[in-house]
Amino acid sequence: MSWETVIGLETHVQLSTKTKLFSRASTAFGASPNTNVNLIDCGLPGVLPSVNKEAFYKAIRFGMAIGAHINQTSIFDRKNYFYADLPKGYQITQMDLPIVLGGSIEILTDDSTKTINITRAHLEEDAGKSIHDEFDGFSAIDLNRAGTPLLEIVSEPEISSAKEAVAYMKAMHQLVTYLDVSDGNMAQGSLRCDANVSIRKRGDSELGIRTEIKNINSFKFIEKAINFEIKRQIKVLESGKKVTQETRLYDSAKDETRPMRSKEFANDYRYFPEPDLLPVVISDDEMQKIKDEFPELPTEKEIRYQKEYGLSSYDAQIIASSKSMADFFESSLSGVKNYSLLANWLIGEISAYLNKELIEIHESKLNPENIAMLINRIDDQTISGKIGKSIFEEMCIYGSSPDQIIESKGLKQITDDDSIEKVVDEVIRNNSEQVQGYKSGKEKLFGFFVGQVMKKTQGKANPQTVNKILKEKLKK
Amino acid sequence: MDQETVRTICYLARLEIDQNKSEKIQKDLETIIELIGSLQSIDTSDIEPLYNPLEMTAFKHEDLVISDNKKNKFLKNAAESNEDYFLVPRVVE
Amino acid sequence: MSIQFKSITELNELLDNKAISVSELTQESIQLAKKYDELNCFVTLNEENSSKKASSIDRDKKNTSLLSGIPLAQKDLFCTKGLRTTCSSKILSNFIPPYSATVVEKLEDAGSITIGKTNMDEFAMGSSNETSFFGSVHNPWKKGFVPGGSSGGSAAAVAAGIVPAATGTDTGGSIRQPAAHCGITGLKPTYGRISRWGMIAFASSLDQAGPLARSAEDCAILLNSMSGYDSKDTTSLNSDVPNFLENINQSIKGKKIGIIKEFDLSGLDTEVQKRFDESKKAYENLGAEFIEVSLPNISASVPTYYSIAPAECSSNLSRYDGVRFGHRAENTDDLNDLYIKSRSEGFGDEVKRRILIGTYALSSGYYDAYYKKAQQVRRLIKNDFDQVFKSIDLLMTPTSPNSAFKFESKGTQNPVELYLEDLFTISSNLAGLPAISIPHGQVHSLPVGLQLIGNFLREDLLLNAAHVFQQNSDFHNAKPNLENFK
Ligand SMILES: [Mg+2]
Ligand SMILES: [Zn+2]
Repeated sequence: MSWETVIGLETHVQLSTKTKLFSRASTAFGASPNTNVNLIDCGLPGVLPSVNKEAFYKAIRFGMAIGAHINQTSIFDRKNYFYADLPKGYQITQMDLPIVLGGSIEILTDDSTKTINITRAHLEEDAGKSIHDEFDGFSAIDLNRAGTPLLEIVSEPEISSAKEAVAYMKAMHQLVTYLDVSDGNMAQGSLRCDANVSIRKRGDSELGIRTEIKNINSFKFIEKAINFEIKRQIKVLESGKKVTQETRLYDSAKDETRPMRSKEFANDYRYFPEPDLLPVVISDDEMQKIKDEFPELPTEKEIRYQKEYGLSSYDAQIIASSKSMADFFESSLSGVKNYSLLANWLIGEISAYLNKELIEIHESKLNPENIAMLINRIDDQTISGKIGKSIFEEMCIYGSSPDQIIESKGLKQITDDDSIEKVVDEVIRNNSEQVQGYKSGKEKLFGFFVGQVMKKTQGKANPQTVNKILKEKLKK
Repeated sequence: MDQETVRTICYLARLEIDQNKSEKIQKDLETIIELIGSLQSIDTSDIEPLYNPLEMTAFKHEDLVISDNKKNKFLKNAAESNEDYFLVPRVVE
Repeated sequence: MSIQFKSITELNELLDNKAISVSELTQESIQLAKKYDELNCFVTLNEENSSKKASSIDRDKKNTSLLSGIPLAQKDLFCTKGLRTTCSSKILSNFIPPYSATVVEKLEDAGSITIGKTNMDEFAMGSSNETSFFGSVHNPWKKGFVPGGSSGGSAAAVAAGIVPAATGTDTGGSIRQPAAHCGITGLKPTYGRISRWGMIAFASSLDQAGPLARSAEDCAILLNSMSGYDSKDTTSLNSDVPNFLENINQSIKGKKIGIIKEFDLSGLDTEVQKRFDESKKAYENLGAEFIEVSLPNISASVPTYYSIAPAECSSNLSRYDGVRFGHRAENTDDLNDLYIKSRSEGFGDEVKRRILIGTYALSSGYYDAYYKKAQQVRRLIKNDFDQVFKSIDLLMTPTSPNSAFKFESKGTQNPVELYLEDLFTISSNLAGLPAISIPHGQVHSLPVGLQLIGNFLREDLLLNAAHVFQQNSDFHNAKPNLENFK
């Protein structure tokens, strides 16, 4: 029998605001436990929320980018349930009137594109964090994260494989980082998703019974968790049984999903409009301001890079595809004449290094000024490309500037004819056998002479000059 | 309102009722539900609910941090805590 | 010299003439609280801090504001920094807030001295002060009788002359009804007039803080300090606060007062009717004109309120879970068990009843029929008010259908019986309108109150109308015989 997979994703994006959604406590990651918590975040008796303007602006920017309808009047609701890291016994979220409605996201699948429609995106507060395994007999509660603004983006069930789900999340990552809506840091939980997975017979119009895999926070785990779940459900269905509608967790250590143990016999969130908050209205002026300050998106950048800096469409696309790469490119540009050389280095050497280290460029020791200097030294032939690579390695480790390295190691390229001629003469003198061979027609030996010259100059000789002088001398 | 419903709402509200009071409470709830049920006779079609008497819109705060670390006071008010965290019986997920 | 029963204005004079120091005044007020301990008005006294503040005011001789050096009592649902705040509930019996309510801050900034926290119905849920974890409050006029609720402790403390004024909160009548039962003046301002920050929530869209005092004039003095926009409460109103004393003496000649047709008073105690008719006459003598008006949906106020208030309370009270503050049960199996046992041990029966009703009204399948329906009817009620205030200045009703009743005589068999006590007061909370209760005589030797309801933000007119009434009558000067409480 042929089966078909239907996946809908609920993505939680942590918005990169300085303060929380309903309080002015800091959202900074990594603070000591329970120190970024104020009266409101602790849910003390008598406190009241107020809404964060910037969180709305970021949510709207996202909505505009996906071509959605923006509800200029939106309403917060309470979602009531008890949990240890939910201080008030309810989460403030948006139910009936979310800030963003509709829109769509393009994803890349095996060289073609697919449009995934977005149902809605709403603002809500994050919960705190429970630590279950560190204290004997206790779970420990840290409320630093409580109240951090989240944008929950709900897709239509139009994703049909684990691969597409990954592509969707990658597109989402690109978009939210590009829009400066989120830092997109998955390891820190800034971008995570719940996957609703169901299986049906190919051609069936009705959806199968779905399970929800909660809180997956890496591209790798999204693929693995969904693939496991697809296989599991097919097995259940093929054995003639029914899939149970339930919430499951992905255990990466065992590479499996399993039902969450904390089962509630009644899950009734009793949503109702948050009486402590009046409707939030975004004025036309505010909408215009958000539009005016709209950041450039990848495709726009791609076109501009080709037009303004003469990059190839391939180079332009690769650089524009990552926000941090594009930012780096743009801040390096001012000091550089040879844009294509800069692009080549970003795509080649620099990307290779980052991939090897599994870091983003802003997390490395590289900075735009130093890379611009490196590109210029190669471009003006102060150093050769080869020396450039060895300098780059050092830059990655110590963060030092290329000029410093060139100076302290004496790596400056030798370009004057006299000095190179001296070395060429010496090489010819010391290798009469090879000179004979070359002159009798073994032209492949030319490379040998180049190699010898470079060796004697520790690679500093300008290759073109070496070629030119060698050719002249060997003719004689 | 049957016993099952009472059990469900008690669980949702995380409350339990004394055995010897349960009949009385169930009766009380029924009386109150009957009272509020009397609203059904009022025609409210096309009437927007009035969730707050102030028909204004919300003030939005600026995205600027006000540091106000009261960790020690917060933890001191908790029935069980250590130097860093609020503590609850261990949760198994 | 006894300061008992003195008004704020009188106390100010004594302070100004150096007839008494702030320290002496504070000390006497605290002594009175102790002397009438049996009334059970106070949950917590603030002795040490009060005398500290009093002596610092005496030292600095900065007697600039009308409230400077005046002892006040705060209802025990206003958070007071470093001073236990219980809401008269077991679940908060050990709660020390790390911050103060805006109302408390403002009154204290004006120089007043918080001598203690007053008893109340648990989480302000009740109309008789009998639901307090700390026991019932006696009506100073008659031992064994309720003072009304939920601000019963505040009303009794003012009526007994312990403090000249106190704060209260009013969600469905909780300032006005106890003021009426205790023979004092109580004002519920317009929703949003006073910040709710630090005022422990019962029903967010209905709760409003207000003053209780021996006269409308003293209420105005407190209201001047309590009012104003607060960015911490985004449901507070960003509009100008007038000086409520400024026009308090104005004549009310030609003011139109509405009598609500739907409130059939003929079913009430004949004495209650009589007081009402007499007050009507008094107002006519002051030049007011009476008009019968119709508020077609006002009879639905009680069921509307008892759907909305419990729904909001069921959610507002979820934070009392034994995790971060408040009572936590011992020997629990797991987190759920901790929640259930802590909450069940910590809340009293009436609070539980309302949480359950609210949970039910919000649950799936019932939301539209109960909660949403009630909010729709609420709009109808507000529309009715908007309509009548086009042609009148004020509305007048009795505050309560009865005078104070005996302990455990109402609502024990059927809770709805007690809910109907709020018939006249509830609708102004639903519509967010200001209303005042002033004493206007006695029924069976217990005080009863007259309620005036004003249009949006017209506390000035309410205080004006109440004040001229009090200038021309003596009801507000009546004092209970406290012999039985010594
Ligand atoms: Mg979800
Ligand atoms: Zn969510």
